[in-house]
Amino acid sequence: MFDKVLIANRGEIALRVARTCREMGIRTVAVHSTDDRDSAVVSYADESVQIGPAPARKSYLDIAAVVEAALRTGAEAVHPGYGFLSEDPDFAEVCRDNGLVFIGPPPEVIAQLGDKTAARGVMARAGLPLLPGSLDPLGSASEARSLADDIGYPVIIKAAAGGGGRGMRVVHDAAEFGRAHRETVAVAQALFGDPRVYVERYLATARHVEIQVLCDRHGNAVHLGERDCSTQRRHQKLVEETPAPGLPRELVERMGEVSVAGARAVGYVGAGTFEFLVGPDGRFYFMEVNTRIQVEHPVTELVTGLDLVRAQIEVAAGAELGLRQQDVVPRGVAIECRVNVEDPERDFAPAPGRLVEFSPPGGPFVRVDTHGYPGYRVPASYDSMLAKVLVWAPDRPTALARMDRALAEFRIAGPGVRTTTAFLRRVLAHESFRAGTHSTAIVGQVLDEQHGPHRAAG
Amino acid sequence: MTQGVITDNGHELFNGLTERLDGHRALLEETRRSVVRLLADVPTAPKRLRVQAGDVVVEVEWDDAGQPVTVVAAGAPAAPEPPAPEGEYLTSPTVGVFYRAPQPGAPPFVAEGDRVRPGQQVGIVEAMKLMIPVEADRAGLVARALAADGETVEYGTRLFELAPPDRTAG
Repeated sequence: MFDKVLIANRGEIALRVARTCREMGIRTVAVHSTDDRDSAVVSYADESVQIGPAPARKSYLDIAAVVEAALRTGAEAVHPGYGFLSEDPDFAEVCRDNGLVFIGPPPEVIAQLGDKTAARGVMARAGLPLLPGSLDPLGSASEARSLADDIGYPVIIKAAAGGGGRGMRVVHDAAEFGRAHRETVAVAQALFGDPRVYVERYLATARHVEIQVLCDRHGNAVHLGERDCSTQRRHQKLVEETPAPGLPRELVERMGEVSVAGARAVGYVGAGTFEFLVGPDGRFYFMEVNTRIQVEHPVTELVTGLDLVRAQIEVAAGAELGLRQQDVVPRGVAIECRVNVEDPERDFAPAPGRLVEFSPPGGPFVRVDTHGYPGYRVPASYDSMLAKVLVWAPDRPTALARMDRALAEFRIAGPGVRTTTAFLRRVLAHESFRAGTHSTAIVGQVLDEQHGPHRAAG
Repeated sequence: MTQGVITDNGHELFNGLTERLDGHRALLEETRRSVVRLLADVPTAPKRLRVQAGDVVVEVEWDDAGQPVTVVAAGAPAAPEPPAPEGEYLTSPTVGVFYRAPQPGAPPFVAEGDRVRPGQQVGIVEAMKLMIPVEADRAGLVARALAADGETVEYGTRLFELAPPDRTAG
């Protein structure tokens, strides 16, 4: 096992990784920017290194600075968390070249799955069902247009290098295709430095269901069940839960089996997530693989009893998976709500600031993953997620009541600080969410009912 | 602590952007660019900057006891007194190993008592097998070398202390 791990991230995930390392007897190195000097993980970790100024490009995304910090401090492995360099094959490769273990899949696998069209191709060959669409990036606008006409509208144009909800555009009819295509290509080039796009059918009322997999270097692979991530706003997840309400168990089992087959097909190592859309007809379609630990991983941890970060570290150190598929027996219901410092009354504009009051909820079966503390100044330089509130319960109605109670308990206040807790309670109280029949359209519906349809269009 | 608040009705300004680009992030990116331009116009680096999208709100906070400074987007910026420098330092541009001399045994780039000018090389930080020159970002008299040759440094580590301006003047 490793003696020392460098955590190449910030915020709640950095603290979460540091905690598991401490439980495993592994020493930790936190890296931080000038804006994150006061971050909770800096005081929690055994050592810390300031790697650059506030802009992530010059600190958390600076491969040389992060790797140098690992080498200087004698770390043997690097945990990338999520976001930043977690799915950067170059970073994984530079780590390997410098004798550091990257806690994640090999760089070749990250590169293959990071290219959405390459991933669609390999998964189609492994037997995963895809939405009607192109397997390869489309050369010209006219080629894309004729494919869209064949598929039938609405379609979605996606950047091949996209992810995290960025670089995609829904097109409702042929008339708007040309302009939408041009814009998506431009956005893809600007955001990812790669103008390639592909087209597939768009399911307006689909559910977003994903499967967590875990693989070791010895050919063992299991899936840990599903997470329903249908509650999204602008393709950013707000609420995640397991099991997916109302989804037939045999369907989930089938999704798990094909995910394991897909993971084996690419030689996957570590924790990964297969994302699917499930249509109103109960058919499911592969979307993409996330080659990192995800924000919502604790949902799976609560029902399986596994520490996924621990599993990532063990597998990266070369250990065999200690469990077979039949050992994975999810119990009960888990829900996660993401609390962001955003103002729902101002179109979810970021509203960070100093936390004069910060008092997370407690009580039975409540878990809060956060880097917040009283007096902490939430920097405006980074993501607006401040906390994840999770609950576990034997059944969904109890879990919903528990989550509502926990969110109501959460006290966060400071000058200019706004959060999404009250909005999340409205989402959870919505009729279709309670019934478990909601789709990815639910947030728009809640906003509509609150303010009238003009708010949701923004 | 002084605070300046800039408010503007950003709807017209940003309406086109949110449609053309990737929603909210594009709006924020554009707001940030405006802020960078704004910062170029204020005389000292603020302690805190708060940017809010939607109805655009930019709050700038300076960390000194001077008069309140209000910068109005459309108007001419008020020019506050720059705060007195507390002690000046040349700092490391990245994490790595700091070297005071171009090679072992060679005389150091600068020694205590030397004058430096902006852009002058004062050391090297080795990171990822790259030799990154450390250059003075201001003029001054080297009062003290704070980092030893071969010492591990991180971003912002103080390498040299410069004497206060009154001692270097003339």
